[in-house]
Amino acid sequence: MPRAEHSHRRMKWLHGLPLALLAAVSCQQAMAVDIDYDARRSAALRRCDDPQHHGRVEEARNCYRPLLRDGNALTRAEAAFALGDLRTANDEFRVAVADNQRAVLPRLRWGKMYLEAGQPADAERLFKEAVEIDGKDVGALLALASLGVEPSGEEPSAEDQPTDEAADGIPRVLAENPNLVEAQLLLARLELARGRFDNAVKAAQRALQLAQQQKLPPLEAQTLLAAVEVVRHRDPAQWTRAALEYNPHYGALFETLGTVEVRRRRYVEANVWMQRAVEVQPDLWSARREFALNLMRLGRIAEARPHLEAAYEGDPFSTTTVNTLRLLDSLAKFDVIKATQPAMNLQLNKQESATLGPYVEQLAREAINTFSRRYGYQPAGPVTVEIYPDHDDFAVRTAGVPGIGLLGVTFGDLVAMDSPSGRKSGDFHWGSVLWHEMAHVFTLGATRNRVPRWLSEGLSVFEEWTTGPTPGVAITSKVLDVFKDGKLLPVVSLDNGFMQPTYEGQVQMSYDQSGLACLYASQRWGFPRLVEFLRAFNDENTTTDAAVRSVFKVTPEEFDKGFQDFMRKRFATYLADPKRWAELMRRAHAMLDARNWVAAREAAQAAIDVLPEVTTGGSAYEVLAAAEEGAGKPEAAIVALQSWRKAGGWDPDGLRKLGSLLLAAKRNAEAMEVLAAVNYADPLAIEGHDRLGQLLLEQNRGADALREYRVLLALQPLDTAAANFGMARAFRQTGDNSRARRYLLESLDTAPNYRPAQKLLLEMTGDQKQ
Amino acid sequence: MNHRLMRCLERIGMALLCALPGGMALAATQVLVISGIGGEAQFDARFAQWSQKVATASATATGDPHRVVTLSGEGARREAVQAALRSAAENLRDGDQFTLVLLGHGSFDGSEYRFNLPGDDITGTELLALLDKIPPTVLQLVVNATSTSGAIAERWVRPYRVVITATRSGTERNAPKFGGYWAEALSSAEADRDKDGTLTAQEAYDFANRKVADAFKSDAAIASEHSRINGTEPSRFVVARLGAGAMFANDAQLLAMRNEQGVIEGRLAQLRAQKAQLSQDEYFDRIEPALVELAKLGVRIDARLAVLGVNTGGTPNAAR
Repeated sequence: MPRAEHSHRRMKWLHGLPLALLAAVSCQQAMAVDIDYDARRSAALRRCDDPQHHGRVEEARNCYRPLLRDGNALTRAEAAFALGDLRTANDEFRVAVADNQRAVLPRLRWGKMYLEAGQPADAERLFKEAVEIDGKDVGALLALASLGVEPSGEEPSAEDQPTDEAADGIPRVLAENPNLVEAQLLLARLELARGRFDNAVKAAQRALQLAQQQKLPPLEAQTLLAAVEVVRHRDPAQWTRAALEYNPHYGALFETLGTVEVRRRRYVEANVWMQRAVEVQPDLWSARREFALNLMRLGRIAEARPHLEAAYEGDPFSTTTVNTLRLLDSLAKFDVIKATQPAMNLQLNKQESATLGPYVEQLAREAINTFSRRYGYQPAGPVTVEIYPDHDDFAVRTAGVPGIGLLGVTFGDLVAMDSPSGRKSGDFHWGSVLWHEMAHVFTLGATRNRVPRWLSEGLSVFEEWTTGPTPGVAITSKVLDVFKDGKLLPVVSLDNGFMQPTYEGQVQMSYDQSGLACLYASQRWGFPRLVEFLRAFNDENTTTDAAVRSVFKVTPEEFDKGFQDFMRKRFATYLADPKRWAELMRRAHAMLDARNWVAAREAAQAAIDVLPEVTTGGSAYEVLAAAEEGAGKPEAAIVALQSWRKAGGWDPDGLRKLGSLLLAAKRNAEAMEVLAAVNYADPLAIEGHDRLGQLLLEQNRGADALREYRVLLALQPLDTAAANFGMARAFRQTGDNSRARRYLLESLDTAPNYRPAQKLLLEMTGDQKQ
Repeated sequence: MNHRLMRCLERIGMALLCALPGGMALAATQVLVISGIGGEAQFDARFAQWSQKVATASATATGDPHRVVTLSGEGARREAVQAALRSAAENLRDGDQFTLVLLGHGSFDGSEYRFNLPGDDITGTELLALLDKIPPTVLQLVVNATSTSGAIAERWVRPYRVVITATRSGTERNAPKFGGYWAEALSSAEADRDKDGTLTAQEAYDFANRKVADAFKSDAAIASEHSRINGTEPSRFVVARLGAGAMFANDAQLLAMRNEQGVIEGRLAQLRAQKAQLSQDEYFDRIEPALVELAKLGVRIDARLAVLGVNTGGTPNAAR
């Protein structure tokens, strides 16, 4: 795209940002296929609704237009809403409410319009007003309940589950009004969100029956029935055909099916539905946007852009569309590094591609090779890794909006994650995040995205613990407390811990539990059987229940019992007296602060004996090492920190400490390995690269040393003479004397009396002897 | 004349000056390090540690520990500070250098800066008046590493005085990290970017400034301090000597070789002036012979230092 046009468009995204300007900005949206089931809807509007619901767009428009001059403000507002003129609709709804301060219906419909425009907060305000005016108005009660039916985000939390208002309110309305189509539809949506598919089908079937009886559109009921079929891995053709017969341009049908697949992380499958949505209704802007977002999940950025731009032209109020367009604009600031054997595309911000790139490439390659071998699966195309220094860019890439609490996501063969530059050093281990996400590429790919969430997460955690850059079963004591309280889930419902959490922190607990379940299975039946278990999900009808029975030859109940035995045995000391560990930790820290090395040592060692798996947040290992060092026992401090590392410890300061202790003990080869590990936790710190480069040179690993010095130079160090000298030595070791000379002279140009460089110069020019 | 050439010629001049027969007056460097009140034990300990490091490293620049005066704790009362500055003003001579390092907390009320001391604070105006009593023929370096020190940056600078402040203005009030990194710079081989064994004020400033920025970046935090350097040619100030640098003043053979170095560096500086007009290969081809000469001279210097009992290390790693 030419630069000028590019800039122009960017400005337009910026103008589109303030959503609350709905009332102030003119916008001609496509005719929304909004279905108003309320019996109070006027006959004049119903006459126009019929061609609209059947997809006869021009006929409907011609019908609605005269109603813009109707004597009733609510009718004018509805006509404008149906015609997609939200500004006029907004004005007219305001008039309708002003005309009758106690009116419920205008508020409900006005709120519905806000919902369509992606402003649920405004909708909720209006629905609440309506309920305050008339607490028995069925329409108002349903409208308010509808807001709490479905999860709002990509990553569910306890707050994202159906609310009590929805879960209690909808059945309550239905008890008194069993023939309300809208209520049955809401119940079907509620049950679908809860995973109770039989109940969802029952409610949707009833809604369909009632709609036909009441001569209302069957479209939403058919859509929900199709959605259940998709969730059950069955062909929804019966329902999609029926819906398209009623309205050949009903894009919301396929948009819904696509959304269902996106929620299940089946992006390739979702794409098929999204594309059909756009085909049958090109001006359904939400579908254009979702199709674009899904194309981006599949790494098809260039194809996504035109759909996003079209979505923006049609609906400039969507935060997701605007944010994503801005993200696409910002991709000009990224380098794309294409690597081969295995094929990879690495997308890194230009400011850090030279520093992070070598490590990302190395680790991603290692991950692909490792997981290909372990899972017997090769991705068909290149694996893409996108790393975002700005967390909000990553969040928009992931969920369309900033502010999500994730570190990395995997969309099939595409991994997107935070850069270590965006977070405080020691906050997260980017190498483990990448390793975790790369494992998803293989568990998703090997099962054509059919692996249940718990197993995919469990295997990723298991791989972090067993093959990743921070090997060691690292957990927090919290998961053991949850286990002791009997709150860990049975294996067959472990997915609910991710998808429908019921208490704060359950998602994190579910990661740990899933990892531990995989660890248990691997130890009991062997890793090949665990892979066989994963592959069982290639059969689209396989459930966790069936896979446990067929692969492990036990019932799920037996699996759970075995897992509990495993937990009780492995963590017996902690579980016997959980308070003791916390007391030991407190004492260890207190004694360390008091410089009472002996007491600190005793308490720390006892805490490690109780729970060796805890390696973060001032772990007992680190206290022990500090106490040993304080007591003048550096060798013992080394032993403590090596145990910490073996258990999964990775904090960069701890690693640097271990490295310096090893160097002081002249254990250079071990120090080299430890300092190399720092790069997967804190690669952007200048300190350490020169030292590591020197150690690598000592071990005749010139090519690896070259990587360190290249990274060091990319970090723009003050001491360029030392960095260039390191480059010269590394090139000399790899046999490239020409480049070695160039870097050496560069070094000496800065520092003519730099003795080590002078010595190398004399060596290279053959002038050592005078 | 470019800056590098200037420095080379200055070095030659310094070496010649040092080689003058005894009895003739030599330029002297005097350093005053003042560590203010911390207010909390952790700050008291931190400031004391920094001032100790600065004082120790400064002695390598003055060549005589007695030319480094440290005031800290109860010894850093206002009256003692005034007395030390008055004494400096009385004793320093034409051509001497004076360095003042202030470590601790500062405050700024919008019009007046204060350096926090045990007892009464001393104001920026008072400090400036005392500094201005030092003859303008004495080159002066002030390193004010206190919070809000940016408030005095422009006011204190003179043609003969370079002023370094830890903060950009009087509104940056958090306890700065700059002083710690300044202290670290004075014994850091990394800070000595041209590896000549002498650390200039510019090199130390660049090191500390970068370390501060990196520290905030590592914490993913917004920087709450931005150091500044005001005044001309901060590279004139040697704030520390590293390694065997201090040996040169006392050995005639080393001094002679240092003079040779200066001549070759002068030639290099002239070649550098042509760098922009040459391709990289041409440039490197031209400087290489001079660099080889310097390298050979380096071997002779090391041999002499070995005779004097100084081991400069046999391998590149050890030497670093």
